[in-house]
This record gives sequence, structure tokens and C-alpha cells, in this order.
Amino acid sequence: MSGEVILEIRGLNKHFGPTYANKNIDFTLRRGEVHGLIGENGSGKSTLLSQIAGLYRSDSGEMQVNGKTYDPHSPLDANAHGISMVMQELGVIGSLPTGVNVFLGRTGRFAKGGIVDLREMNRAAAAVFEKWGLNMPPLNKLTENMIIEDRKMIELARALSIDPEILLLDEVTQSLSLNNRRNLYDLIARYKDMNRSVIVITHDIEEMIRITDTITVLRDGEVVGQVNSAETDPDQIRMMMVGRRISGDYYRDDKTADCGGEAVLSVRDLSIPGELEDVSFDVHAGEILGFCGLSDAGIHSVGKAVFGLISGSGTVHFLPTDVNITSAPQALANHIGYIPKDRDREALMIHASIRDNSVLPSVNELRAAMGLLPPGKVSGMAESIRRRFSVKSTGIMQSMNALSGGNKQKVNLGRWLAKDLRLLILDCPTRGVDVGVKAAIYALMKEAKKNGIAMILISDELTEVLGMADRLLVMKDGRITKEIRRDEDFTEQSVIGVMI
Amino acid sequence: MKNKRKLPKIRMSELVPFIAFIVLLAFFSIGTKGKMLSSYSLKMLVEQSILTIISGCGVLFVVAQGSIDLTVGVNVALSGVIAMHVAQSTGIGWLMVPAALLIGLLLGLLNGFIVSKCHVPSFTLSIAMLIGVRGIVNYIQTIIGVEYVPASMQFITSSGFRIAAFAVIAVVMAYLFEFTKIGRYSRAIGENETTARYVGVPVDRMKILVFALSGLTAGFGALFSMATVGGTTQTMGVFLEMKVAMSVFFGGVLVTGGSSAKFYKIILGALSITIIVYGLSLMGMSDSHISQSVEGGLLLLILFITLLTNRRQKARKEPDVPAAGETEQA
Repeated sequence: MSGEVILEIRGLNKHFGPTYANKNIDFTLRRGEVHGLIGENGSGKSTLLSQIAGLYRSDSGEMQVNGKTYDPHSPLDANAHGISMVMQELGVIGSLPTGVNVFLGRTGRFAKGGIVDLREMNRAAAAVFEKWGLNMPPLNKLTENMIIEDRKMIELARALSIDPEILLLDEVTQSLSLNNRRNLYDLIARYKDMNRSVIVITHDIEEMIRITDTITVLRDGEVVGQVNSAETDPDQIRMMMVGRRISGDYYRDDKTADCGGEAVLSVRDLSIPGELEDVSFDVHAGEILGFCGLSDAGIHSVGKAVFGLISGSGTVHFLPTDVNITSAPQALANHIGYIPKDRDREALMIHASIRDNSVLPSVNELRAAMGLLPPGKVSGMAESIRRRFSVKSTGIMQSMNALSGGNKQKVNLGRWLAKDLRLLILDCPTRGVDVGVKAAIYALMKEAKKNGIAMILISDELTEVLGMADRLLVMKDGRITKEIRRDEDFTEQSVIGVMI
Repeated sequence: MKNKRKLPKIRMSELVPFIAFIVLLAFFSIGTKGKMLSSYSLKMLVEQSILTIISGCGVLFVVAQGSIDLTVGVNVALSGVIAMHVAQSTGIGWLMVPAALLIGLLLGLLNGFIVSKCHVPSFTLSIAMLIGVRGIVNYIQTIIGVEYVPASMQFITSSGFRIAAFAVIAVVMAYLFEFTKIGRYSRAIGENETTARYVGVPVDRMKILVFALSGLTAGFGALFSMATVGGTTQTMGVFLEMKVAMSVFFGGVLVTGGSSAKFYKIILGALSITIIVYGLSLMGMSDSHISQSVEGGLLLLILFITLLTNRRQKARKEPDVPAAGETEQA
């Protein structure tokens, strides 16, 4: 890296109460550099970005931008210094449309006599999307009804609308499907060409190595090392992150397509207008069936349709009990489990306790005489899930939102695996969890496979599907376009070829 | 730490309703120079609370789901008036019981159906029902007038019977709410309806069910109301839905429902509200205008304190979370 230093951080500290989120961070960012920050959940990377973006004040230490002392007191102040951030948590206001969200807090400049000129603002917003090659959601649509991906695009446009010198991206790619990811990669490359700088946080190590120049690894709030992306490999980074070598069998290590069990689910000619077209497939006991495709390919709709949340023409036939699944309660009663993509909004009751979340799918099984849900059995079940899946928490009564993303996902997955399942649908099960939890989730999937549970793995991460699935169905525009078996040409190249 | 039966941590916001109750009781005991604590007053206090609790315990399920049912008052009036007329016109006294429950249940079912299948917000529906059904009740009453509990059913007017019946109904409803699937699913819907749906909870059916339950308890409320007064009145159930809603929220249940909904809260809330109303009249503020505005003011104050402590708690929670080093989330 030869560019001049644009951001210099020395001895930065941040603590919440007695706990340090950041300890003596030293960090240097140069012009034209794409710098990755990586570390397990709780290692302090988001906190560091938040400090740079003016969301948190630092307790001590110094930051310099272009050689001048920089101590932002708000995100707007950071913007004034040419720094803007796309946050990990979704930061759009649901009751406002796209255009307003792009210029949130800055609508004043479109005001004429106290009234905001919406047309002018929408034009400006459209220009931002256009300029950076981002897919634009409808400008007048309220964001609350949009999928995560569109909302993320809006946030990205908002960050770019100030034309920043330094762009901070906190876990943006994990919400995106492949085509939008590629747009983002292009955007990052353009930024580099313009001699501007980007700091990226992502849990996807392969991606991080591919798109960055330099990677700084954090652990427990401290910088443990910095590597040159061109000279490192995923194993080295993983080792730096956790401080020990992660055993080799992260994904599956076999190459056999084991679909030998009897068929559990048979989907025939499933069509849902605008989402799926003539989708037919079987899933067998002990098989992991992968689904991948671009953002509008319909892979997520497959999961919803199998769990009876959406319906159209065609049949979803569940063979062990010989019923056609038409509603979610029916799917639940037939030993089918579903892990939706948006964990905090669709899967968990975020303000309720671990106990209430843990037992929710098992209420029918817990029932005793006279409909009683014995409190002892309820707590016992929650406690056994908490222990068996080693959920880091103070107890079953702890509120869900006090847990880290990975631990939330352990509860989410554990509560289904604690049941007597025949089929489990996993939609992006490792979204936003760190390597440690990721490995744990893959291990659980392997165990479930051994126990004969059929699994449908829907994922935006190709490496994950390739690493875990026995068979892979590639989808495009709501149709299945190709089936690839694990023992065939099971590589990223062969899949991407048919995906696009 | 070894103590297994460690008491769960009590939150400040959970305590507010208890403190409010005790402060109110103390305040009016002093203000009435002890009259509030006489056995007669205490009995009145219990009896007046009973009607609110019975009519409102179904509403608790609705509120737990994050909806509201403000049709309790008119439902009590409608089912009461019709049930009494059935008993009077057939000459079969006991028919008033199944009649009241049936009418209450049917109106509840209708509410539930409209809310879940036609996606009308429960608040809007309640307001419409409140006006429409009251009109129907008034019309019926202009024709049949006021009627009295038939002689064969006079036993329900004894307070002993009413308290016993109350105890049975309250226990059953508390059981349903705290220890069965209905209660658990209802709280889940209030916490996050999408989550409930995505886990396989039959959300629409649960909505209809709790509105039906709320209608059924309104039917019980009608019977209790007539048992207390001795018959139907022109003002039957007037303002009752507000008393019920106040009791629920005063007791500390959040408008969004969910885990904050607990059965004891409606009992506590109803007692507090009754203390205010009864206490004010004991203190000689029988002028209903003054008493009503004082009532309103007190309510506002306590709801404000409840909200404030809730917000404080949240505010305190947020920065705590990264402290545990655990909030990096998706």
C-alpha cells in the first residue's frame, strides 16, 4: 500500500461499564485502500466502525483524518468529514418511502418555502442509485414492506449520497444475494480506482480475502494482527480470530452424494405467481438438498411454500404421513421445521425470554392432561436446549435481545433440533454468525443428517451450499434450471455459470 | 448461586402497579380517616372489582395478542338485555344463563372473524361496534324496557354466590392464560406476529378464539351485572370497556401485549381503579364531575410512571448489551 494515510487511529479505547469493547486500537487506513476488519462476535469491530462513524464517542485515544484531529460527535459530523457508514442493523424507517430514507435528516435541502419537493428529492435519490450501479427499489414505496435486500440497498445509497471519502460497510454482503453482491464488489473496486477508501466488515472470510487489500484481525477488543490479503488464506485468518487452529472439517469432507434414504417430501409443479414456476423436487431422509440462485430466483419462496406459509398451484406432498402441506400449523404438526432468513424479525420473539422462544415450536408436545403446559416441563425443555446447544447466557429467563447473533441462532436452531423432526428447512442459517458458531451449526447439520433428518438448505452463500449439500438445485426466475450432485462437477464455477 | 430456588429478578416496571395499589390504598385510608378499611368498604371494593375482572379477563387474551377489545360494555348490555328478556318471556328463569353466554360468545366470534379474516384493526372495529351495538341495545330497551331478575334466579344476587362464581371463573381463566397453549400462543402473537406465523402458530384461529373468549366473559359479565343490580338498567355496561382497558393497562400490561401480559395484573389493576372511584366518593367527592376528573388525572399519572420506568429500563439495557460483548448481531 503506497497511498498516503487518510485515517490514523492511535490508542483508541471504548468501554461500556466495566467491560472494554475496544482496547488501545491502532489502525491505519490509506487512500485507495480496501481494509477489512474481521473477528468473532463481540471482538469489537462494529464498535470500532461506530466510533469512526461518530455513533459512539471514544473514551480515550486519538483519531486523525488527513492529519487533522478528528473527534466526531455525531454521524452528521462524520459525514461532514467525508465519512459515512452502512450499519449492520437495519437502519431504514419503515413508514417512509425509499426517497426520503436516502436523504433522511437531510431533506431540508430539497425544501422550498418549508415544503419538501419530493419530485426533486426522488430525482436526486435515483441519481445516486444510478451513479453507483445499485438496484433501485421503487422510490415511493414504504420500506417496511420491502425485503432486507432492498432496504440494504437504500442504506447503501444513503451512505453514498454524501459522496464520502471513506466508506464504512458493516456486514452488508450477508443480506445480499449474489447479483447484488457483485454490484457491491464493483462499487468497492470503483472506490479504489477513485483513490478513495473503504473499511469492510464481513463474516465471510473467503469474500474478505477476495475484496480487500489489507485485513486487520480483532479479538476481544484488541488488534491481534494485520495481514496482506494477497498473502493470506482462510485458515490463517480463522486461526488469528479464535487464537487456535480450527479443525479441518468445517464443511463436509466427503464427496459422496448420499441421497439414499427414502423420500420424505415430494414437491410437484409448484407455481406461485411472480415467485415460483413449475417447481418439482424430492427430498430424502438424511439428505441435504441445497438451493441457490440470484435475488429474484425464488429460492426463499421454496422454503416458505414447503412450510405452508405461501401457497399456489401444485402440491407439497409430505410422504411419512401422506398429507399435502397447505398451512404452517399443518407443517408444524407433521414434524417439519423452518428456520427463516430474517432471524430477528421472522424467527425470534426478540423481547421475550430464551425460555419462551425455546418452547414455542414444541407447545403441542409439551401438553399434558387438560391442556396443561407444566411449568417444570417448559423450563426443563428450555434449560436442556440452552445446555445442549451451549447458548452463552445467564439463564433461561434472559431476554433474547441480550444474546449475540450466534447465540440467538443457536436457540433458533436448537429449538427445532430438540423436536422429533423429519424435515428441516434452513434459510441462510449462518447469516451473520461468526466462524465458531458457523462451525457449530454445520456440525449440528451433519449430526441431523446422520439421524436421518431431511434438510433443505437455502443459502445466498455458495461456498456453504457447496460445502454441505448432497444435491444442489440452481434456480433462476422462479424455475429450477439445473441439478448438480455432490459427486459431479460440484464447483463454484459450474454453478455460477447456470445461475446468471 | 447455589440456591436453586433463587427468586427471579424483579423489574421496576413490574413493581409500579403494586406500589400504586398500596399507595392508593394508604392514601384513601388516611383521606377517609380509616373508612376505607372498614369491612363494609372492603366488601364493596371486592364486589365492584369483580364485575370489571369477570368482564375483562377475556380481554386480557386479546390484549396479550397486541389487539384490543372495547366491545365489552356493549356486549354486556346486549347479552344481558336479551338474556333477561328470554328468561322473562319464556318464564324459564335459568335460560338467562345460556342465553347471555351464547349472545356474548356470538358477538365475540363476529369480532374475531372481522379482525382476523377482514384484517380490520381491532381498535377501529371496537369503536364501530361500540356505537352500533349500543344503538341496537337502546332500540331493544325502548321496546321491552327494564326487566328484573326472575324469582327463580334470585339466588344469584347474593354476594356469597357471586364471589364463589367469580372465584371459579377467575381460576379457570387464569389457568387458561398462564398454563395452556391458548395463553402461550397469544403472548407469542403479541410479541411478534410474524414469528408466531413462521413457527406454525395458527394465528387467525387464535385471534378468533380470543375474541370469542372475550365475548364469553362479557356474557358472564352481563350475568354478574344483572345479579349486582337485580336486573337490567338503561346504563348497563356503560363505560365498562374503559374500566376494563384501564385495569389491564393500569396493572402493567403493555399495549403491545406479549410477555408483559399476566393474569394477576388485571386483578391488581381492577382493584386500584375501584379504590380510586370508591375512595373519592367516600371522601365526599360525590359530585361525579370532580370525581371523574380526579380519576382521569390519577390514571394518567400512574400510566405515565409505568411508561417512564419501562423506558428507563430499556435505555439502561441498550448500552449494557455491548458491554457483555455479545451484541454484534446480524
